[in-house]
Amino acid sequence: MKLKTRWAFIRFCITFLFLFAGWLLFTWSLDPGSLLAGFAAAFIIALLTFRIFVEEEEAGRRAHLLRPHMLLVFLVVLIFNMYIASFQVLFFILRGKINPAVVHFRTRLKADIARVALTSAITLTPGTITIDLEDDHLLVHWLDARTTHSRYAGNLIKGTYEKLLKRVWI
Amino acid sequence: MIIAAYVFFGLGIIFNIMGNIGVLVFPDVYTRLQASSTCSTTSVFSFFIGCMLYAGWGPITGRLVVITLFFFVTNPISAHIIGRFAWQSGIVPWRKSYLNRNDPSEDEDD
Repeated sequence: MKLKTRWAFIRFCITFLFLFAGWLLFTWSLDPGSLLAGFAAAFIIALLTFRIFVEEEEAGRRAHLLRPHMLLVFLVVLIFNMYIASFQVLFFILRGKINPAVVHFRTRLKADIARVALTSAITLTPGTITIDLEDDHLLVHWLDARTTHSRYAGNLIKGTYEKLLKRVWI
Repeated sequence: MIIAAYVFFGLGIIFNIMGNIGVLVFPDVYTRLQASSTCSTTSVFSFFIGCMLYAGWGPITGRLVVITLFFFVTNPISAHIIGRFAWQSGIVPWRKSYLNRNDPSEDEDD
């Protein structure tokens, strides 16, 4: 019972922090009135919805505490890769020579949110779309399939992302 | 600052036009999804970056950061859901080797 209430309190704190950060970004002011209104609204909404945002079964508390500096590095690498791959897709469209295939590989990430971030990163990079994610099996549609071998394709597609995400969500 | 914003706007326009041409050129659902969804992702992201550079440091930039984060979360999920539904309803992805397979001379091998 004690453990459950403590875990509920931590879940409430995580939800509250995210909501309050969103409020600060949206209003972009440090007036006492605005801060108070944001505090009250975030408190009430977090009290009502923390059961949905952070599920009770996911008690690996460290899975939710991300490291902001590593997340920043991940985002920079993701945006850089996005632009490079975008130019590649542009040349595929111009030449009209494509070699698409569906490849399958597995991921070693443990936390659910890290897996979702990995699939989103793969889909955000032009040239690859995640079709299916089941436990740790990923099904990816690849526009320029250099190989269909599982491990080699996995290294080419998710290599750097997985290494970085392992450090973000431990 | 404003010149950099214009450069990003130009990149966004180029990616958007090429993505739309790709939708017309490519052969099947998945490849068209690649062209439309992922090229437009980069183009819209370029527009957001350009807007941030154009607006400078202020309240608009904070709202743009929130919108960009929301876009980063939702857009890949929508593309993923379209692809997943196409995969589950049994659409076979187009392969390069299908072109050769449709030749009448090689029909008897299958």
